Amino acid sequence: MSAHPTTSWEAMQDGNVFYRRQQLYSIPGKLPNLGEYTVAACRHGGPLAMVRDTSKLVALGRTTPALNKTQIQIYSPAGEGLLLFSWDQGKIVRFGWTHDERLVILNEEGVYRLYDLQGDYQQHSLGSDAGELGIIDAQVHDNGLVALTGSLTLLEVKGWEGNRPLTLANPGLSEPPHAWTIIPPDLNVSRHVEVLLSVDTTIYSVDNLESIDQRLSRGPFTHLAASPNGKSLALLTYAGVLWVVSTDFQRSMAEYDTKTAPAGTEPVRQVAWCGNDAILVTWDTSALLVGPFGDTLQYFYSGPTFATTEPDGVRVVGPDTCDLIQKVPVSTVAVFRPGSAAPSAILYDAWESFVQRSPKADESIRSIRPELAAAVDECIDAAGHEWEPYWQRRLINAAKFGRGFLDLYNPTDFVNMGQTLKVLNAVRFYEVGIPLTYTQYMYASPDHLVARLTARNFHLLAHRISVFLHLKPDAVLRHWASAKIAHSRPSATGTGKDADLSGDDDVCKAIVDKFQQLGGPDVSYAEIAKRAWEVGRSGLATKLLDYEPKASDQVPLLLSMKEDKQALIKAVDSGDTDLVYHVLLHLYKRLPLGSFFRLIEDGGERLALASKLLQVYAREQNRDMLRDFYYSDDRRVESAVLSLDEAAKMADPPAKISAVKAAQKFFSEDKDRAFEAKMMDESAKLLAAQQQLEKDADGKIPFFGLSVNETIHTCLVNGMSKKADKIKTDFKVPDKRFWYLKLYALTSTRDFEGLEAFTKSKRSPIGYEPFVRHLIEKGFSKEAATYVPRCDSPKRADLYVECGEWRKAGEECKTRGDKAKLAELRSKAPNSLIERELGQIASSMR
Amino acid sequence: MTTSVSTDEQSSSQQPESSLDVNILKEIGRKALVDALNSVNGAKTLVLDASLAGPLGLVTEVALLKHHGVDKMFWLEPGPLTSTTSNIVYLCRPMIKHVKVIADQIKRHTRESQQHTYTLLLVPRVSTLVTRVLEEEGVLGDVVISAFNLQFIPLADDVISLECDNAFKEIWVDGDETVIYDSAQALITLQKLYGAFPRIIGKGDHAARLAAMLDRQSPHANTPPPDASSPQIDSLILLDRRVDMVTPLLTQLTYEGLTDELLGIKNSHVELPASLVNPPAQSETSNAAPSTSPSTSTAPVSSLRKESKKKYHLSTSTDPLYAELRDLNFSAVGRKLNRVAHRLDEDYKARLQAKTVAQLRDFVGKLGGLQTEHQSLRLHTGLSELLVPLTRTEQFNKSLEIQQNLLASYNNSAQLSAIEDMIAEGADMQVILRLVCLASITAGGIKAKTLENLKREIMQAYGYNRLPLLLSLAAPPLAILLPNPLPASAPASSFPKYPFTSLRKSLRLLIDDNPEALEEVENDISFVYSGYAPISVRLVQCIAQKGGVLSNPAEKDKPEGGGKTKTTKVQAHPIVGWKGFEDVIASIPGETVDIINKVSRGNTGPPPMASLLAPRDQSTTTAVFFLGGCTYTEISALRWVARQNRGRKFLVATTGIVSGGSIIESIADSGRTVGSKDAGI
Repeated sequence: MSAHPTTSWEAMQDGNVFYRRQQLYSIPGKLPNLGEYTVAACRHGGPLAMVRDTSKLVALGRTTPALNKTQIQIYSPAGEGLLLFSWDQGKIVRFGWTHDERLVILNEEGVYRLYDLQGDYQQHSLGSDAGELGIIDAQVHDNGLVALTGSLTLLEVKGWEGNRPLTLANPGLSEPPHAWTIIPPDLNVSRHVEVLLSVDTTIYSVDNLESIDQRLSRGPFTHLAASPNGKSLALLTYAGVLWVVSTDFQRSMAEYDTKTAPAGTEPVRQVAWCGNDAILVTWDTSALLVGPFGDTLQYFYSGPTFATTEPDGVRVVGPDTCDLIQKVPVSTVAVFRPGSAAPSAILYDAWESFVQRSPKADESIRSIRPELAAAVDECIDAAGHEWEPYWQRRLINAAKFGRGFLDLYNPTDFVNMGQTLKVLNAVRFYEVGIPLTYTQYMYASPDHLVARLTARNFHLLAHRISVFLHLKPDAVLRHWASAKIAHSRPSATGTGKDADLSGDDDVCKAIVDKFQQLGGPDVSYAEIAKRAWEVGRSGLATKLLDYEPKASDQVPLLLSMKEDKQALIKAVDSGDTDLVYHVLLHLYKRLPLGSFFRLIEDGGERLALASKLLQVYAREQNRDMLRDFYYSDDRRVESAVLSLDEAAKMADPPAKISAVKAAQKFFSEDKDRAFEAKMMDESAKLLAAQQQLEKDADGKIPFFGLSVNETIHTCLVNGMSKKADKIKTDFKVPDKRFWYLKLYALTSTRDFEGLEAFTKSKRSPIGYEPFVRHLIEKGFSKEAATYVPRCDSPKRADLYVECGEWRKAGEECKTRGDKAKLAELRSKAPNSLIERELGQIASSMR
Repeated sequence: MTTSVSTDEQSSSQQPESSLDVNILKEIGRKALVDALNSVNGAKTLVLDASLAGPLGLVTEVALLKHHGVDKMFWLEPGPLTSTTSNIVYLCRPMIKHVKVIADQIKRHTRESQQHTYTLLLVPRVSTLVTRVLEEEGVLGDVVISAFNLQFIPLADDVISLECDNAFKEIWVDGDETVIYDSAQALITLQKLYGAFPRIIGKGDHAARLAAMLDRQSPHANTPPPDASSPQIDSLILLDRRVDMVTPLLTQLTYEGLTDELLGIKNSHVELPASLVNPPAQSETSNAAPSTSPSTSTAPVSSLRKESKKKYHLSTSTDPLYAELRDLNFSAVGRKLNRVAHRLDEDYKARLQAKTVAQLRDFVGKLGGLQTEHQSLRLHTGLSELLVPLTRTEQFNKSLEIQQNLLASYNNSAQLSAIEDMIAEGADMQVILRLVCLASITAGGIKAKTLENLKREIMQAYGYNRLPLLLSLAAPPLAILLPNPLPASAPASSFPKYPFTSLRKSLRLLIDDNPEALEEVENDISFVYSGYAPISVRLVQCIAQKGGVLSNPAEKDKPEGGGKTKTTKVQAHPIVGWKGFEDVIASIPGETVDIINKVSRGNTGPPPMASLLAPRDQSTTTAVFFLGGCTYTEISALRWVARQNRGRKFLVATTGIVSGGSIIESIADSGRTVGSKDAGI
């Protein structure tokens, strides 16, 4: 039986609040002396990275490792060495951890690497400018970093994909800040990173827009620390006063003079938040927890420590132990606080009585009957916050006991807590060494935990957990397969029996079998295939890639493997045009033009989409290529259309004519396009004729580029009717169309005599009704009426009406003897005058 | 009868209980935009692709943009850009011409050593092409590229659109299938919202590609299919525009359709004389046209335009009268307006009867509503007055007559010479080409000699530069302007013959229009074209209202129900694919699709049984997606189909609203000058 939970509690604020120091692991002698190292720890019970602090003196002894080489060591919180590698790049200015437990190391040249726990890394750079200026310091947060350059400007990198750094507002510093910190974007109201710099006596807060002087007078500050929720800021002045303010600097929240502490005269090692309401100040051998009202608790260590802020407490790694200091959660206080009368405490008490077969159990349960459901919930919650399985089990049992007395109770929480505790206890085991609390687990999600386990190569555990929690196992499988490929490599190249065993087929089969057996339908093979290709096993990669269902994942790898045709086919099949462009543009860059065209043409129907897209792209961006493409494929019609398209854009007459002629030539080379060739011939002829017309008109009238109709119209309007006639005969314009053109043109110039003469020259092929209608439409009703007598007799009356000639309409009726029509006209008559007139006509008809 | 129709309509517009709430899509679009804008900190200058202004105007308003830090807005146009803010946000579709303009402006700034931060928001997604062009122009490093995923935009309660203006041309002329992919993505979003489609039925080669994409991608994207058992959509019907080219070539004859044909509706906005849109005295409805109208960098265009034309948003939410009018055949609109005017008059007269103060207060309370209605009545009366003269023109009536004759295959050669006459008269090219293509489709091609003659006429009348346009219309896969017989060298497989004459019989496309029936009752979907039933909607009926293909459901009610058609409405039958019409469907060129979703099959046992049992009383929605655009008449016809049955609504989804004119224009534009498009906005 473990000690009662309350033994580790210590009261603060007159016994209203308790803090506990929970020993997570006992690690005597496992870690080197932290005083000689620079340390960075990952949140959520993550590992510690350390590099020897070059500014500290080191006693040379037999255990001293090679000093001339920078070595980076990574330990789990349980003191197990996870990784050790040496650093051969420029001087390290800062290192820290990302959200997914990768170690970021930034050197003074602006180069940063992201190491995973297997020692594989990606390298990115802050750009050449940053490299020249040099980086003097940086702050790393979960999803990015902020670097301070040699010219005292700030660069921000968002995300870990090697994004281009953004320059933040220039705070205009003249010397490096005394201390600085950042508030990560996700904790900030603006959702953008905020940098806090201690300059002189004040603090500058800088984001990407502006730099604000907060006008404080208590500085300079030696330590700055933002609380885990980003709402408060802890400042330590040179005078040793710990001062807590809100991050908008509007409220001063607490103050405490650290000089009054027992170790107060020594230099402070660290100021770290413990949750969101207390601050841990550490010295070499002691630590002081400062509560919100200036209350303190003192802890002693045998040597230098390192404190890591967690969302619900602070993790302190000392020479002998790894501890978690946190405020005792409300539910735990309710259950275990001595003399607690909370329902959960009574429930727990009742359960203990029940186990001891005491009748008090029933009595106690009765007394809390109305609050029983809440009590059960509280017990479940308290179980989650207990570290020892013994106490977890007792609390869960108490909850189960209480549950029996409830008629209706949703057991989801109960079941979930059981599962969660199983998982948490498994990962807290010292060989795994992830001291994750319940709060942190809920905060970071189970998926995150699984990812962390796979990153440590605990594939089996990770897989069991994901199955246990009904998570998708593909992430685990993917990592496993990558590891499998990486590990099978040496034996594949080696000799002996192993070489055959781990040949491509076997590895592929092993992976595929495992995937199909364990994974759902969504496992992605592309990533693994990529991995295989990266380690130089293209055979295996191709095999694996065949299993990949998503084209967008297959294609990039196929391209980098130079499987051009396959990549193009896959891209086209996917229907994702962007993917097709991706392949096309890539290939266009890499292949000689001839083989590029051949690749597309040989594809035939299958690659039709690719061919079409290439044309769309080339028409806008690369016409020469398009011309070559059409030419190489003997596409006369397309070549001709392209030529016409260019002709349309040209303003220079000779160039335009020659472009049209080129199109004509292309058409004539295709025997099915005789008609089009003829048309283009006409077109060229027309352009030439128009040039001549312009010359005749001394360049005053623009003709060039007009259609045949427009040309005739322009001629007529400008009194060049002879020329119009010539165009008509040259281009065999039908009489009908010519008559309409003439009608429109002469009407627009109000040449009514000309029109009259024209209509008399010949019998109209279009009749005379169009004349009446067009003239009416243009507002020449009077002139229109003169053409009515030449129209078909049945329509005349109506046409007259449209001309507004009611009397003539009436007379027309009379001559035709159409009484009905006349009556109709009378009924429609616009005014009485006309009505009477029509009446007279009607009467005269009898 | 008329009253029954109108009550019917009102009831359908009043009860949105069963229809899906498509406004979520608007919210999604709006949120995506806000998120995209907020990712850039501080004040920013927004540079907008003009073709996106319309769609954006349907999703958001200028105030929202201002609220999220947009300081100034400019059109994306060639030429220098002056910006006072350090952030510049470009918002455009991933088209090369836009990217070139952007690259040019950035280079100009660099030369003038102006410091700006550039963000490029691409609609609907990031494109390799853009990255590549920026790289070639040497400015890739200066631009942050991200996506603004604008997908379906609700145009009405039952219509959602991607508002891609050139979708038809891109697919069938350029062969650029980006739109299909984007449609698939948008439909997947729809599935995420309303549950997986239990069945996908479709017709057409490109529809088949789309269906294949949906089928392939859905297992990946189906992270949230918890309510797959009770999806709100019972099936998705995919039709590609090529399956029915006849319908868009005809002149639409509904109120909304005719407005689009004659005045042009763009993104639900129609340009009207300002005097019509603005109420005479007060200016309270000025918010009825909230389109994003950013000021241009060169000139204050908006103020110039205000004097003559003003955009009006045709929407049923701000204009209740519009809901009653939009689907009517234009010949019925006048009567309807008249009736509404009478009713309004009576309502106003209520004032005279008001004796007591309470009654007066009552009236005053209603006054606001009456005034809105009054204004709306005034607008629509004015709008139809604009339309009437246009429908009286020689050209309009002649083309209608030719259309009807061609549909009936009546004396084809006479129609062709009539078309030639129209060319001689100088009719719009767009009208001529629609007629010629229609003749080609209905008759299975035009005699080679006649066709060449027509083409020659067209080129002489409208310019030889129309040759590429004519070639595009003739080239596969579009192939809607063909000689008959085909030249020997052309492979017959790429020019499948469209069996119009047999479809006319089997799908009952032409309705004998005895004048009274046509006047009084919308007795079939053919009311939208005064006697012709759109093939596309007939195909939908083949799936969702099989009886309607064979006879008029409305007519059946007449003998028994008299005026009370509502009570005798039959329950919609479940979706069973093309059953009963397999032969007809097979005769239409293009692949036929019928996919039953595996997921739902796994959950609910055999699908026919489940779907037979399920929709007894509950109502479901059938989504109809038109790849390549649909016309307003098709929407009206589908609304009519929905009204004939209980328990089935339609959700019309489309890549955009088209008309024959807009299709021809978009193809004609392809080879022509690129820069000066949309200068008038």
